[in-house]
Amino acid sequence: MSEAVAVTAERATIADFARVFRRIQAEVHKVIVGHELAVEQLLSALFAGGHVLIEGVPGTGKTTLVKVLGLVLNLSFNRIQFTVDLMPADITGTRVILSGDGRREFTFQPGPIFCHLLLGDEINRATPKTQSALLEAMAELQVTVSGTTYPLAPPYFVMATLNPIEMEGTYPLPEAQLDRFLLKVRLGYPAERELVRIISSTTGPDEAGIEPVFAAGEAAHRIEELKRLVREVMVAPAIEQYAARMVRATQPDNARILGDERSPVKVDAVNRYVSFGASPRGAQALILGAKVRAMLDARANIAYEDIEEVAAAALEHRLMLNYAAHSDSVDASAIVDQVVRAVRAARD
Amino acid sequence: MYLDPLVFLATGVAFALIALAGSATAVRSAWRGRMTPMRAAAIADQRADLKGRLATVYALAPNLPNSSLWPYLIEDTYGARNSFEPSRIEPRWLSQSVYALLAALVLAAVLLPRVIAERLGGGAITAQGGSPDAITADINDLDIRPADPALAPNAEIYADAATLQRLQERMAQEQAAGGGALSKLMDRARSLAGALQGKIDGRPSGPQPPVRMHLTDRGSANGSGAPGSNKPPGNQAKTDGGGADTGNNPPGSNQPPPMEASSPPDDELAGKSGSQQGMNPADSKGADGDSSVASGSAQGASHGSGSDPSDLFGDPSAQRLGNDSFKIAIDAEPSDEASGPGTPGYLPPKVRVAINPQQYPDEPLARALVPPADQMTIKRVFER
Repeated sequence: MSEAVAVTAERATIADFARVFRRIQAEVHKVIVGHELAVEQLLSALFAGGHVLIEGVPGTGKTTLVKVLGLVLNLSFNRIQFTVDLMPADITGTRVILSGDGRREFTFQPGPIFCHLLLGDEINRATPKTQSALLEAMAELQVTVSGTTYPLAPPYFVMATLNPIEMEGTYPLPEAQLDRFLLKVRLGYPAERELVRIISSTTGPDEAGIEPVFAAGEAAHRIEELKRLVREVMVAPAIEQYAARMVRATQPDNARILGDERSPVKVDAVNRYVSFGASPRGAQALILGAKVRAMLDARANIAYEDIEEVAAAALEHRLMLNYAAHSDSVDASAIVDQVVRAVRAARD
Repeated sequence: MYLDPLVFLATGVAFALIALAGSATAVRSAWRGRMTPMRAAAIADQRADLKGRLATVYALAPNLPNSSLWPYLIEDTYGARNSFEPSRIEPRWLSQSVYALLAALVLAAVLLPRVIAERLGGGAITAQGGSPDAITADINDLDIRPADPALAPNAEIYADAATLQRLQERMAQEQAAGGGALSKLMDRARSLAGALQGKIDGRPSGPQPPVRMHLTDRGSANGSGAPGSNKPPGNQAKTDGGGADTGNNPPGSNQPPPMEASSPPDDELAGKSGSQQGMNPADSKGADGDSSVASGSAQGASHGSGSDPSDLFGDPSAQRLGNDSFKIAIDAEPSDEASGPGTPGYLPPKVRVAINPQQYPDEPLARALVPPADQMTIKRVFER
């Protein structure tokens, strides 16, 4: 009897996850026209406890998407416009001298990094030193300033945008930092039908009425609950092996760091165009992203299809391509697509 | 019931392909049938579209996972039990690979009565007294086609004059009909081979004369040697592969090749390999006995060594010079430096190339009577 009650409660919890997820999507799409997959991947990264890198040409709604998400989730939201003269202290905060009661003392002034949702706009315009100021916060949810560590309040979700076409005077993100983003979301130009809707919804007098999904005081708590629920999704050993094999298949045979073991799945494009493949964080991203997808499908287990669906967003930005790839105009998405097909064929 | 050779060949190839495909399918099925419970669960997941529920339950059940969703997963999977019942996962009682066997058995059952009936009623070819050396064949059921030049004659046919006359008529009909599909295919194959060889040898490639079948009379060929003379039935006749005929005839000539010199018994109809006809008679060790051609070849050989002044002078050539084919003899010692000790070296095959019918025979210089006053001058020229 008690087990039946527990099952009923968990069924309701899983249903609640899907309901909340879909409602957030619906609210975001009141403003964001199209980009359904991008919004879903963004929310998947949020509930999987990761961070997301958003890449898109100017005017495709990157910043708007993140701002709307902050409003819908009803969480504290900060935005940092990365420029070349931005310093790490401008992000993390610094100690300033405050005077009061006849005394002057150093007091820590928190930077914009202290929030729940952080938008790093055009992150590749800042120097690597400034970019690296985000590393500790993203990985460990804490910030160290002048020897003092300050924890960040969960949920903590970094959304960084990249502009892939204006590369003059930019600093491409180092691989170590790219690896810390759970998923990479691509925003392309909207279709004509979507463009018409954008024009009609943004040039009139009416503004879209966005309603927060969570109440102000409970948003962080509810999101953390849902994140824990995602972690409860079970993974069969065969699925874990499938994800591991997919990550191994992104690594070329000639990589010096691979060691003696070679991937059983050979992909010609990987050996030809990839210098370094995905790291173990890539496998973690595959599993976590797949768990969110399983929850949305009201399942407590991951299927092979979940891994394949999330592979592009989880692995593309983790592949370090060589000069041959740039010469042949081969991008990471095509290589990941080949990897997925090869690993699937090896499974069958 | 006998199939035409071409149909038989095509049918055999088709059956072989089907058998290979069936074998591959059977091996694959057997490999997949090497079933483990985990594999069975995965297949059931796939066929029932359970998205891995069953396999996850089976894999995690031995060590209960520390997840609050485990009861939910069990109930969720159990709720879908109707979708992975055996009757829905594997609705067939028999493997599909059995159908091929059943089809073969049905086909055999259909054909068996006809085969038995033909065996009992006697076929077109029957062995006399059970001996395979003596076979009586119905002339109306014979499938006549040119002999493969690569094959040696392996049968002798004995018949009365009327039968041979009918056989001759049949051969004429076959020749008029173009020899059938297989014969055309062989003609095309020979043409292709000739064109390739012509490219290798540098000869101009052109349309090859068609393969001709003909009867020859060995008895009258001894002495008279009149080509193309068809003896009346009762004399020895020979079917000849036409591929080598082209080597004996000048371009555009419709004359049959020269007769054989040997004289087997009458009423003998011997299939003769065309390759022997096409060979240089000097190389056939006198088997065909064309002495005139052989001596002509010898003359050409002696005159061919024109750089030796000692062979320049002599009696004028009275015989016909030249030959309608030539031979390339390779006398080089085989050497294979790459092979190890004890490894037999590569022995190059002897190359005999039939002359192109459109090419004029390579005739050596004929001897002529040289005045004694000019002999010294000519000798000096060749000694230079």
